[in-house]
Amino acid sequence: MKLYNAKVECAAPAVVLDDMILTKDLPTTAGSRMLSGYMSLFDAEVISRLAKAGYAVRGKAAVGEFGVDLMGESSVSGAIYKDGALVSAAHEIVLSGEVKAAICLDVNGSVRRASAQSGLVSVKPTYGTVSRFGTIPAACSGECVSVVAASAAECREVLSVINGHDDKDGTSLSEQTCRSALEAGKAPTRVAIIGDFLDGISADVKEKLDLAAASFERSGAVVETISAPELSAARAAWNILMSAETCNNVSRYDGVKFGYRSESFMGLDELYTKSRSEAFGALLKSVIIYGSETLSTENYMKVYDKALRVRRVIVEKLSKIFESYDLVLTPATSEMKYTKEAIEACPDMAFTENLYTAPASISGFPAVVAGGVMLMGGTFSEGKLLTAAELIEGEGR
Amino acid sequence: MRYETVIGLEVHCELATNSKIFCSCSAHSYGAEPNTHVCPACSGMPGMLPVVNKRVVDFGMKAGLMLNCHINRTTTFDKKSYYYPDLPAAYQTTQWFAPVAVNGLVEIETSKGKKGVRIKQIHMEEDAGKLVHDIREDTTHVDFNRTSVPLIEIVSQPDLSSAEEVEAYLERLKNLLRFAKVAECEMAHGTMRCDVNLSVRPEGSDKLGVRTEMKNMNSIEAIKRAIEYETARHIDALENNTEVLVQETRRWDDIKGKSYAMRTKETAGDYRYFPDPNVMPVVIDDEWFDSIKASLPEFPEVKLARYTDELGLSEYDAEQITKSIALCECFEGAYSVTGSAKDAANWMISEVMSILNSRQMTYDMLTVDGKALGELIKLVSEGKVGRANGKKILSAMFDDATLSPAAYAEANGYIVSNDTGLIEKTVKAAIDADPKAVADYKAGKEKAIMAIFGKCMKELRGNCDPKVLKDMLIDLINKA
Amino acid sequence: MDRELLRRLEMLNQLSLTEEEKVSVIGFFERRGADSEVLSGIETSEVERMVHVLPVMTVVREDVVSHPFSRDELQRGAPETDEGYWCVPRVIE
Repeated sequence: MKLYNAKVECAAPAVVLDDMILTKDLPTTAGSRMLSGYMSLFDAEVISRLAKAGYAVRGKAAVGEFGVDLMGESSVSGAIYKDGALVSAAHEIVLSGEVKAAICLDVNGSVRRASAQSGLVSVKPTYGTVSRFGTIPAACSGECVSVVAASAAECREVLSVINGHDDKDGTSLSEQTCRSALEAGKAPTRVAIIGDFLDGISADVKEKLDLAAASFERSGAVVETISAPELSAARAAWNILMSAETCNNVSRYDGVKFGYRSESFMGLDELYTKSRSEAFGALLKSVIIYGSETLSTENYMKVYDKALRVRRVIVEKLSKIFESYDLVLTPATSEMKYTKEAIEACPDMAFTENLYTAPASISGFPAVVAGGVMLMGGTFSEGKLLTAAELIEGEGR
Repeated sequence: MRYETVIGLEVHCELATNSKIFCSCSAHSYGAEPNTHVCPACSGMPGMLPVVNKRVVDFGMKAGLMLNCHINRTTTFDKKSYYYPDLPAAYQTTQWFAPVAVNGLVEIETSKGKKGVRIKQIHMEEDAGKLVHDIREDTTHVDFNRTSVPLIEIVSQPDLSSAEEVEAYLERLKNLLRFAKVAECEMAHGTMRCDVNLSVRPEGSDKLGVRTEMKNMNSIEAIKRAIEYETARHIDALENNTEVLVQETRRWDDIKGKSYAMRTKETAGDYRYFPDPNVMPVVIDDEWFDSIKASLPEFPEVKLARYTDELGLSEYDAEQITKSIALCECFEGAYSVTGSAKDAANWMISEVMSILNSRQMTYDMLTVDGKALGELIKLVSEGKVGRANGKKILSAMFDDATLSPAAYAEANGYIVSNDTGLIEKTVKAAIDADPKAVADYKAGKEKAIMAIFGKCMKELRGNCDPKVLKDMLIDLINKA
Repeated sequence: MDRELLRRLEMLNQLSLTEEEKVSVIGFFERRGADSEVLSGIETSEVERMVHVLPVMTVVREDVVSHPFSRDELQRGAPETDEGYWCVPRVIE
């Protein structure tokens, strides 16, 4: 069981970074043979911010290839199973107590799924409030640097270090706007449960939702179940956008400038094709092929452009919901554990299981996982979501 | 049957910015050591994010306005994907959905008169790297210095119909973009490159024929030859069924004087454009737009008319000076000091341009400050510095753009002396030394005294009013 | 998705799939078929596309040159270099 792709001894307080975050002094692999041993020439912006605040980097946690999978099962170093259930390396390291927090790039919800199943707390901030400078690009229009920790308080502490404007990221919001997202606010008074997400979840996930709802009610909130069928379309649209963007972003890996190069080839095309075919895993290859097809001249308008329009439908629907509710309570996963058998039967389970995570991914809205469930709020409400998470964080253990 | 050629051009111009379009590497790659103007971003490494160079947008707008385009006040960047070793990220960031400028018009003049060429659009994009094939036989060497250098691509409508018109159009673009100081447009430096789309149809037909594209043409002469060759090939195919024309990309071999179909891959062509999520739309507000509009230069023909109508320059002089914005600026600076447009123009044409030519410099390379030139002209016209010494001072001003002509003249002893005693002494010595010339002159050979005049001028190091010298020389010879 | 389309997409993406991978790609496409159905069920003719979830803002930088990295550093992880160039098998243009 290999949790760390790289590890160093260091003083506390320390964090672990997932292997989508570039480090100057440790290799960054993106979970791919393509980047085996890849050394970045620069550190990610979040690392500079953490260092300034006195945090050391303990090491790099294994990730699924370019972060698009369920929970790390597509990593070149292999899936990690504990007691028959898939686990995430970064989350295991946080659970071990060796670090205060994990900093992970949430591309397709794996960070949130693992947080829910491990009982940890994590925050995917509002898109644009944490710099993506120095993260390996996959699905740039939605991916966010996220924090995983044992408690909402620790998440808040680390998030406040990495949150903020960065000139080096052209999608970074103003300092004032970024900081506003950290406001703790008050406990929620109105909570919505998305009824559409209740079909198809296991009894133990349902139990977590009920526990969370009961906690909110106990603290005086009104909890209502609403219908928002549009949100179920977020997954379909996100699968298209994520695949296309990832396809484009991983096209740079071709065996020429850096990274893996096939040992034998005849001519340029074979250099490209053999290097890429030998170094990329099966799931990523599916994503590349699918993503490129959504962008073809023939499909662009009816597939990719359609997904961009559906993105607006979802953003508008969520905004509408948050006019009436402080937050939305949803599952983060359909089950509390993923077995090896289930994953082997469906290696692209991430593209169906992201039903719950896709709305926040595609809209850029913040999401907090605690107590085994997910809370979503309007833009710049992650501080308030963490306050709400304090009410339910104990439920996941 | 008579045929007509229908030509549209895609012209790429490197923008004259300091840094690249999305990263801070130097954009001046011409002649640099390979891969020394490169960073992780422009060599395709992961993790750096593109941030748009403001000056690229400034220049895109300026180019658009110079070409009478409509400026899209919200302009966006898109990704174009293909694999090639000169494209390190395997995508080029360009403008597909909302280019900076659209629907322009450029007026050209040929032997057949004036004609408007419609501009479809101007988009901003990053250049590709350079491949070197002649270092090792089995290897292509890749240089990313040029990668991400900002370009504009100017796409014309198929409004051109001959090599002559194409040449006039390219010259016009070059002139306008140089006037706005947005691009060098030097084909020999690769800062202007051209794709030629050509088809042939029966004269009067409104249906376009099969179109072929010749890419990356880099000299006007080659473009003209290629157009003539392709036109003949198309007509031959239509008339004599020598071949079936297909829509394709062809390579022009200027040495052989022939075009060849390029090897194409089955999948080539699907560039899978999509909006770049990492680059926010650039919104050009009124303040920005107005500041760019205010910074535009007078158009060359407006200057030309002003020079002839208001300043009284000859058509020829005005045409020469308006060939380059650098010449115009130098001339206008000089005129502002001397108050005499004729003097300033005279110096521009006979002195400044001749030094540029002898030094094999393009007009735009002129760095001489116009006001300083004006001071020099005044020194000469007021008789304080001899014309020949004035030329020497001008030459020094080419070497050092900050040089003050008056101080330089003083320091180098170029100030005209009014010491008649010294002049008289010099002339007497010269007459005594050359009795033959004196005798010849007296015998009616007027030119004979020029040798003595020259010697005196040399002895006096040019610091003498030529009229004073000549009068004294004639006077003393007659007395002798 | 058929074999011919798959072959073209492999070429377009510089991939050469094993038979097993081809099966999994075809399966992936089949499962995404449901996504397309969901999307076509949503009326978007009056909806503007949304590329960026952020509020409209112009992000530009000043035209200033800096050179933080040397060629040696940049080519440290390169599979093949020669005389300061990255190298590929000869390309015929």
